[in-house]
Amino acid sequence: MEPKNMELTLTQVTKKFQDTTAVDHVSYTLSNGVYGLLGVNGAGKTTLMRILCALLKPTEGGVTWNGQDIYSMDEEYRKLLGYLPQDFGYYPDFSVWDYLMYIASIKGIRPMAARQRIDRLIKQVGLDKSRNKKMKKLSGGMKRRAGIAQAMLNDPKILILDEPTSGLDPNERIRFRNLISELAEERIVLLSTHIVSDVEYIANDILLMKEGQIVLSGTSEELIASMPERVWSCTLTREKVNDYMKKYKVSNVKTVSGGTQLRIISADPPTEGAALEEASLEDVFLYYFGEKAGADDVQI
Amino acid sequence: MFSYIISEKRQVRMMFRYEVKKVFAKTGGKIALLLLAGVLVMACWFAADVLYVNESGEYEYGITAARKLREAQKEWMGTLDEEKLRRVIEELRRIDATPQAQSEDVNENNIAYSWQQGVLGIRWLMVYAYADGFRDSDYFRPDSLDPEVASAFYSNRIRLLKDWLVDEYDSAYYKFSDAEKAFLIKQYETLETPFYYDYLEGWKQLFAWYPMAAMLTMIILGYLVSGIFANEFQWKADAIFFTTMHGRNKAVAAKVKAEFGIVTVIYWVMILLYTAFVLLYLGADGAACPVQVNWESWKCLYNIKIWQEYALLVIGGYVGCLFISFLVMFISAKGKSAVVAVMTPVLLIFLPSFVGNIDSDVVDKILGLLPDQLLQINRALGYFILYELGGKVVGAVPILFVLYGVLTLVLMPTVYKVYRKS
Repeated sequence: MEPKNMELTLTQVTKKFQDTTAVDHVSYTLSNGVYGLLGVNGAGKTTLMRILCALLKPTEGGVTWNGQDIYSMDEEYRKLLGYLPQDFGYYPDFSVWDYLMYIASIKGIRPMAARQRIDRLIKQVGLDKSRNKKMKKLSGGMKRRAGIAQAMLNDPKILILDEPTSGLDPNERIRFRNLISELAEERIVLLSTHIVSDVEYIANDILLMKEGQIVLSGTSEELIASMPERVWSCTLTREKVNDYMKKYKVSNVKTVSGGTQLRIISADPPTEGAALEEASLEDVFLYYFGEKAGADDVQI
Repeated sequence: MFSYIISEKRQVRMMFRYEVKKVFAKTGGKIALLLLAGVLVMACWFAADVLYVNESGEYEYGITAARKLREAQKEWMGTLDEEKLRRVIEELRRIDATPQAQSEDVNENNIAYSWQQGVLGIRWLMVYAYADGFRDSDYFRPDSLDPEVASAFYSNRIRLLKDWLVDEYDSAYYKFSDAEKAFLIKQYETLETPFYYDYLEGWKQLFAWYPMAAMLTMIILGYLVSGIFANEFQWKADAIFFTTMHGRNKAVAAKVKAEFGIVTVIYWVMILLYTAFVLLYLGADGAACPVQVNWESWKCLYNIKIWQEYALLVIGGYVGCLFISFLVMFISAKGKSAVVAVMTPVLLIFLPSFVGNIDSDVVDKILGLLPDQLLQINRALGYFILYELGGKVVGAVPILFVLYGVLTLVLMPTVYKVYRKS
């Protein structure tokens, strides 16, 4: 029987690939709840998740589950895992049903139990009508739903979802977030994303990862409160926009009648008459990740 | 406890079933099955191509030709002793003296040929038995033999070998050590004579086209098994696979078992269907004859029967297919790609043919031990490639079985270990 207090502990976890340090001395303890791992691409999120899935061994440090080394636990640890990788791979010529039955078999679920569980899960993820469809014929959203179903098959104590909403349309994203919230009870859910709104809605704790390190963690409110600068709103003429963009961290630009409205993060008011706004997690993200947060791969 | 064990077994069966399904659910897998069917049909088609010339000098093909040929040769069935050999020589002389044989008209010659089809197999043996040298042959020599030489039929085989081995102007003199020469002579001297002669067309045709069928089957098998490991990476399904409970043990074992199962079932279905067709079509007579009764094996150094040659052929082919398949799996597990792996059987099968043109004893000895030889044991049986191991001389065939049997047994767990550590 599993202890009530489940703890997945990372101690000074470091992963180096030749000259690159993908994960740099990360120490953190995860217990029941939903954790959002937020960072730009290349921050080390996927590497950290692959370490937690025992797919990669850290160069230094270790990971324990309730005090036991996860690599020594071997299949006993994998039995607790549900994983949806960023680049979700599947067997293109299998039907949804066959795919899930196969994954169930390699997850050690007995065939009878697997049938019942799959039946329930494909209804839950809305794939009931597509159970006999080949995986390669599913839409992007349906594939992701099949992905979450496979991750949930063994009722995992640790559910690791790497960029689960990437490539989904807004409706699919909302549906997906709701689904994860439903599944989040009684387990550790670690969700990595670069879409701020995803974690804002469902994560209890948010970890900001930058250059292989967890630079900040806490609830959405705690992170917002921890930001040393404030958020301002001001309307400028179009000619001045470029100068302000260079000078300040601008989290939003909106064309309005009479000019352009900017949302600026700054310790002091950027203009006379600038209105003080309530900070959001998106502002925190921009504050910590700076210019990279505005790159193509980041949606805030 | 009991129900737990049953459930575990069901789970393992399910993993195995889905591994096999992964291979054949692909379009490529289905095409491979069609190609295998094509290979089988082609091999049977070629093997069934038997020619009979009727008394009017016309050609006949197919099952009627096979039946008539069988009837003609069955008349000469029995112990091939001096008396029978004498009768054969007399018969050949009689036919050769006929106007039809002497004629310059091709159809007339065909009529003469039709009369000697019953003794054709023995006639071919005489081409070699009464040749001037071990490596010589004169197709027309049997037509002009004196019946008195019938007594020298078997002793000539040994004499020609001995003369060849002591001929300083022949490469054989330098090629073989004294121990190897003694081994060859002993093999020839211990061959049980006189032979029992029978109609052999079924076996001859079966042996003739088996290597082609086995090699093409192996290439297709190579394609099928190359993806068992590599496709997980190609489809990016490896991350989920390796994070599952059995992803680094039983699920990997299921892949190895699937490979073993696919190779075993496909190989034996192909070979047994081929065998059944050829032997039912052409007849299975002559299984108990020594292989030397087939003129193509007259010089064979292995003293075995036709049925033993068949057993070596099909078992050798199976060992070869298993070894090459596991090698393909090993390469695909190591390289995480099916591209290089799928080329392995092609290289192993066709490369020796190119290297074989190099005139070197060392090259011959290396080529004699390559795994492609297992897919054509009937040809390997005909080669004079010998090895001295611990002072004992052995031919390539027994070494091939031991070597690749052991290597296959070593590769099996190695493939498992390599993949589970991916």
